[in-house]
Amino acid sequence: MGAQDNRQPGGISRRTVLGAGGAVAGLAALGPSMPRIAGAKEPTELTMLAWYGHGEPDAVAEFERTFNVKIRPKYYVGGDQMLALMAQSPPGTYDIIHADAEYVAQLKEAGFLERLDPADYPFDDFWPELRRFDGHWFDGELYAVMTRFGFLGVSHNTDAVSEKEARSYRVLWDAGVKGRVGHLDWHLPNIACMSLYNGNTAPFDLTDAAWAETKTTLLSLKPQIRGIYDYGGLLSALKTGEVAVVPGIGDWITGVLARDGARVTTTIPEEGGLQFTESFSIGRGSRRAELAREFIRYALSPEGQVRQAMLKAYPALIPSRSGWKRLNDLHPDEAKRQRMALNGPNALDDIRRGRIHVRRLPVRQSLEDWNDLWSRYKNA
Amino acid sequence: MIANRFVRRALLAYLGLVLLFAFAPIAAGFVFSVNSDRFPSLPLGSFTLDWYRAVFEDALVVESFRNSLLVGLAAAPLATLIGFAAAYADYRFRFFGQRAVLVLGLLPPTIPVVILGVAMLAFLARLGLAGTLTAVIVCHVVVCAPFAMAVARLRFAQIDPDLEIAAQNLGASDWRAFAAVIVPMAWPALMAAMFLSLAVSFDEYMIAWFVGGLNETVPVRVLGFLQGQVSPRIHAIGAVSFLVSILLVALAQMLTSRMTRH
Amino acid sequence: MTKGPLALPVRLRRALYGALWAAPMPAWQLVFFAAPFALLTALSFWSVRNFRLVPDVSTAAWDWLLTTDYVRDTLLRTLAYAGGAAVLVTLLAFPAALAIAFVLRPRARAAVLALLVVPFFTSYLVRVYSWQTFLADNGIVNAVLRPLGLEVAGMLNSPFAMMVGYATLCLPLVVILQSMSLLAIDRTLIHAAHNLRCGPLRTVGAVIVPAARPGIVVGAVFAFILCFGDFVTPLYLGGGKHPTLAILIADTVKAGQQWPRAAVVALVMMAVLLTTALAALSFAYRRRGS
Repeated sequence: MGAQDNRQPGGISRRTVLGAGGAVAGLAALGPSMPRIAGAKEPTELTMLAWYGHGEPDAVAEFERTFNVKIRPKYYVGGDQMLALMAQSPPGTYDIIHADAEYVAQLKEAGFLERLDPADYPFDDFWPELRRFDGHWFDGELYAVMTRFGFLGVSHNTDAVSEKEARSYRVLWDAGVKGRVGHLDWHLPNIACMSLYNGNTAPFDLTDAAWAETKTTLLSLKPQIRGIYDYGGLLSALKTGEVAVVPGIGDWITGVLARDGARVTTTIPEEGGLQFTESFSIGRGSRRAELAREFIRYALSPEGQVRQAMLKAYPALIPSRSGWKRLNDLHPDEAKRQRMALNGPNALDDIRRGRIHVRRLPVRQSLEDWNDLWSRYKNA
Repeated sequence: MIANRFVRRALLAYLGLVLLFAFAPIAAGFVFSVNSDRFPSLPLGSFTLDWYRAVFEDALVVESFRNSLLVGLAAAPLATLIGFAAAYADYRFRFFGQRAVLVLGLLPPTIPVVILGVAMLAFLARLGLAGTLTAVIVCHVVVCAPFAMAVARLRFAQIDPDLEIAAQNLGASDWRAFAAVIVPMAWPALMAAMFLSLAVSFDEYMIAWFVGGLNETVPVRVLGFLQGQVSPRIHAIGAVSFLVSILLVALAQMLTSRMTRH
Repeated sequence: MTKGPLALPVRLRRALYGALWAAPMPAWQLVFFAAPFALLTALSFWSVRNFRLVPDVSTAAWDWLLTTDYVRDTLLRTLAYAGGAAVLVTLLAFPAALAIAFVLRPRARAAVLALLVVPFFTSYLVRVYSWQTFLADNGIVNAVLRPLGLEVAGMLNSPFAMMVGYATLCLPLVVILQSMSLLAIDRTLIHAAHNLRCGPLRTVGAVIVPAARPGIVVGAVFAFILCFGDFVTPLYLGGGKHPTLAILIADTVKAGQQWPRAAVVALVMMAVLLTTALAALSFAYRRRGS
């Protein structure tokens, strides 16, 4: 690990020169169609397709300075719109693609991603549980590198619902929160929580009987519902207290509100929680793949990982051990809040105890089936 | 016109209420844009200009304002001309396929923007226009022209066609009769159509998200904030757009009142 | 060059003149809209394999549309909300338009009309987001009502909130369209009615409304079209509890690139709107024009 730490800074700066030089040469080869490429002064532009916040200064300014790069983000508002946008954009439009694991699979399937060389990335530095994330490897080849992850369970207003109560999804049906249950508008995590509540140990791999039972469970929740929101709506509803409890979301929402002083938190119920995984990939046909690779390496460096963990837009857990170490050195409070303690109990225990299930696409039913149920639920 | 004083006062009071309704969300937005709390709620926090600072320091937001202005100022006049021409033709002539033209003009606003955006992108990508401001302009003309046509057609319905014919009978050519009769009478409608097109273009976020690629307009940025970083920056952007548009409208008012006085 | 175009026969010249006006709209829409529209139609017959769209002649999406009960429910709900909003906004707008056309002096009138345009420029998204803070249980409206003992809970996520959103979307536009129509009414008609000792209400009912019919109907049609396809109000003010077709489209897309289903819903929406709009417009312009 020490060697890893030592190698990073020097390695990066050498690679910088090589990478930036290569990129400039590559640009020059494209001829006059590209805008001015004036030596070292004019920063190279690197494009990024991402969820909101990943191209903001708090995440990228340091990288931009070091590499004389300007990152130009395009933020998407839904994975499916993102896929449609990719499908219609000329190859090479987006150098870096940030996505959830479910969409990495779809991006790879559609041929929108470049293959990555595992040797370029510090997987040795990852916690063993996270070193080889199935959703990023296809036929033994790597297409995405995990940079953040997080758990989803029951998010609740601590004045209305105690942590003890939130330790079971049962609380959603509690008479005390009638008309105060909210949903994030996406079928996958919501239905999976119902599936977990029913005791399915593989919440996305449901037999017909288990699927039928899950449907019944979900539909029985409808009378409790206050609303079905998008991200912004859910933030407001939780903040104002109109919504007291929300299944299938996590610290990426409650952490943002907690920073602002709201009395909300996320508890992982005994029936189990879900894990989301964010990663960076390199877009097919990227003309600045070298630089894109450097960016991913930066995001995995201890400094980069600290920034990833504390991203202004929304916080998340990070997979790198040296990142955890640096976070504990620099921001012990945040490390504690997110349960990233190096010694003693921490977030990884939930994974080790088998309470966490990776969010993924349904195995036996089609995505349409799950989506149909969700539309039906809204109309119920 | 309406003699009864009580009725006049009641109508004016009611008009005031309608304006209050239209401006209430904007006024509240102003308040929250200088309020320190990240999530707008009562009671208010302290006064701050941080959200404005954040907006003006955000190069992407500043660029989005430039893009929106560019797109609006290109798309609105174009859409107005096209819509106005179609309305005039529909009013003035009887021709084959008249109904079809009307339908073609009406169609775009009836298609949900999410899917129209995808279809537009798929098509424009084949023309090599995907991800450009030109693409946004082209699409906004498609979407705005029907509104312009409707406003202009409404005005024409009230212009007596005999007026123009009379002018022609007095020896004016088609063009002179048009310039002498139609332009002055339709001028307010033309301006209304123009503003409406501008407004529709300023407000459209979904098609612009798809076809604009990395070139984002203001509502596309707002949508990004709403989905990723909810904060009073949204209100600060709203307040700035409001001030800019007030300025534009006042300017246009001055110009038109000068022109109509002639 | 001696005579140039003047040498053309008069009929041909007139035809050219007419074509010049008639052509731009169909030309632009044929080039930039017809192709995407054709693609959209074709898309409704494509299939989705491994999250990719594959050109096909499958009727799967249409079958889904016809056999799924909640699609029909959603269509009916959307019709009810958009129709209700159109009627409501038309009624709410009319007295304001009367005030603008018949009470205000020209300068004030121009100023008020300009004021009505201004809200459009502050993004609709921002305005609807702002309404949330008015209608929340601890929001501005209740802060005003609470001292009066009139507190109302649960305004957000209700049909009422949706009507507020829809009115935000189209009330100013409808007022403007109606005012334009009212302003163009021949004032001698109204004087005549007045001289015949018609009361204000009768003047409005017997003279003003019929004369302003095009503007009233066109305003209502636009309100209907805008509300029917709106996604923002049902989401942010309806709380997703009153899903409309626009929400349904967003949902189907979340089912792994089910754009064919989205296309089918879009085509149905288009058909409904076009039928309604054409019927309403032919009513609006009947016995007028030529």
